[in-house]
Amino acid sequence: MTADAVQELEVDVAVVGAGPAALAFAERVGGAGLTVALIDEQLRPGGQILRQPPGAFRVDGWLDSPVYRRPKAALARLAGLPSVRFIGGASVASAYPDERGFELWLAGAGVPRRVRARRLLAATGCYDLPPAFPGWTLPGVMTAGAVQAFLKSQQFTPDGRIVFCGTHPLQLIAAEQLVKAGARVEAVVFAQPAGAVLRLLAHAPAALANAGKLAQAASALAGLLRAGVAVRFGAAPVRALGEDRVTGVELERLGPGAARETLACEALALCFGFLPQSELPRSLEAAFAWAGPYGGWRILHDDWMRSSVPGLYVAGEVTGVGGADMSLVEGALAGLGVLLDEGHLTAARADDMASGLRREHRRCAAFAAMLRDLTSPEAALARMAREDCIVCRCENVTRRAIEDARRDNVGLDRPTSIKLLTRAGMGPCQGRNCEHAVVRLACGGREPRPMDAFTARFPVRASPLGRLV
Amino acid sequence: MRVADKVERGAPLTLTVDGRPVTAFEGETLATALLAAGIDGFRCDLEGRPRGPFCNMGVCYECLLEVAEGGGPAVRLRGCITPARAGQAIRTGLADDR
Repeated sequence: MTADAVQELEVDVAVVGAGPAALAFAERVGGAGLTVALIDEQLRPGGQILRQPPGAFRVDGWLDSPVYRRPKAALARLAGLPSVRFIGGASVASAYPDERGFELWLAGAGVPRRVRARRLLAATGCYDLPPAFPGWTLPGVMTAGAVQAFLKSQQFTPDGRIVFCGTHPLQLIAAEQLVKAGARVEAVVFAQPAGAVLRLLAHAPAALANAGKLAQAASALAGLLRAGVAVRFGAAPVRALGEDRVTGVELERLGPGAARETLACEALALCFGFLPQSELPRSLEAAFAWAGPYGGWRILHDDWMRSSVPGLYVAGEVTGVGGADMSLVEGALAGLGVLLDEGHLTAARADDMASGLRREHRRCAAFAAMLRDLTSPEAALARMAREDCIVCRCENVTRRAIEDARRDNVGLDRPTSIKLLTRAGMGPCQGRNCEHAVVRLACGGREPRPMDAFTARFPVRASPLGRLV
Repeated sequence: MRVADKVERGAPLTLTVDGRPVTAFEGETLATALLAAGIDGFRCDLEGRPRGPFCNMGVCYECLLEVAEGGGPAVRLRGCITPARAGQAIRTGLADDR
């Protein structure tokens, strides 16, 4: 590629991600006349919660459950914002501070190669926790989010019997959507005992404003039972069975004897919670902390969603997983923060506009904390980790290799040292699959600290070189 | 399985996977096109075992495929975020000629 081929774009604010946080942000900031670029790997905006069908599809009644109403309304309003430009199909390989703000390097077919912006919002969302256990690398084993996205966007479901395993109630919702689409869901299996899940669902009709998703989960549970789907509790997947693809899952029951049983399936969907996708802000040296109990790193911020890096804002799941409603609130707050910092709003006016948002944020945060407590994957992950297995999917590094490296190299037991010793985290996913597990192993039960993180660096999304320069 | 009820897809198109023709529809990703054709081994791990789509959102890099189109060189791309297009020549990590 020659320098002539490098297309550049300059905007006031660049946003990485196009989910609820980005949409709410764009509405505030674009509505005030600032130019905004929303950059996302998907070809259409909406984020994972609203994985849209492609433009060439027509889907009647797409995501018509009430829980999608608010993000869908935010998505619909995007079209009325002329100063907001959506750049789809673009991976952000890197972001660098420059004299005017930030320079982003994009990779993708037909997208600008460089985007310059005075300010940057990282609304990079989250991804399903990848739980390592024997057999989890077999084709046909996927995250629940993967299976759900195939349905939402591609209108495609796995063939054959599908089993869901996890600790998070999202698997009820995904499973019911699949049943309604005609797929064959064999079972939904929670690792925690029934009491914990039912306690969670009992919050649904409570006075929590954010109970919409739980109400949906409770109604999904009823729908699954009506459809004859087995909903089970207190059993963790300890082995995915099969040679070249998954043919079943071995479950281990809680309680004395830890009895094992096998369910045959052609697809296994895993739902153990979500990790913030924080590599981009971390590569810019934004301050962060461990995002327990699921894991990964959440970016720290002030009341206006400013990170520790001047000009870099964060909103949504990257600050700690809290759901779409919380992301909408944080996106709006970050928008007000940018307008305040740009001099478009006085401090008094910004405070006034933010007061309702802050009340809603407190409600969302309380709900998210309750959800985290009752859906913690920690106990299940420990049960799934008793036998050796691949932890780093890219470099085929096993748990035993990681434990050996930790034991045999006194003083080199930090995750970054283990990475160098074993190659865990050095593949194209850059540790997104294994980092949380390596950090858990290295920390041995203590709370992980920022010094335990893999270093986030260029390219934060691996892309073919020819698409980058 | 492609959901048929209340769904209209784009126009049918043909690409090849390891030399064999596969029919997909405009708007589908390569991941969908291959899985719908019964192909779930996308790449090959360091020990020669098949891997397929895991996260379906661009994070895990398990769905890497070699994609050649328009006379250009083959590029390794994530199947879950790459649209299927007529005439693409896709090579999995499990092709017979490897």
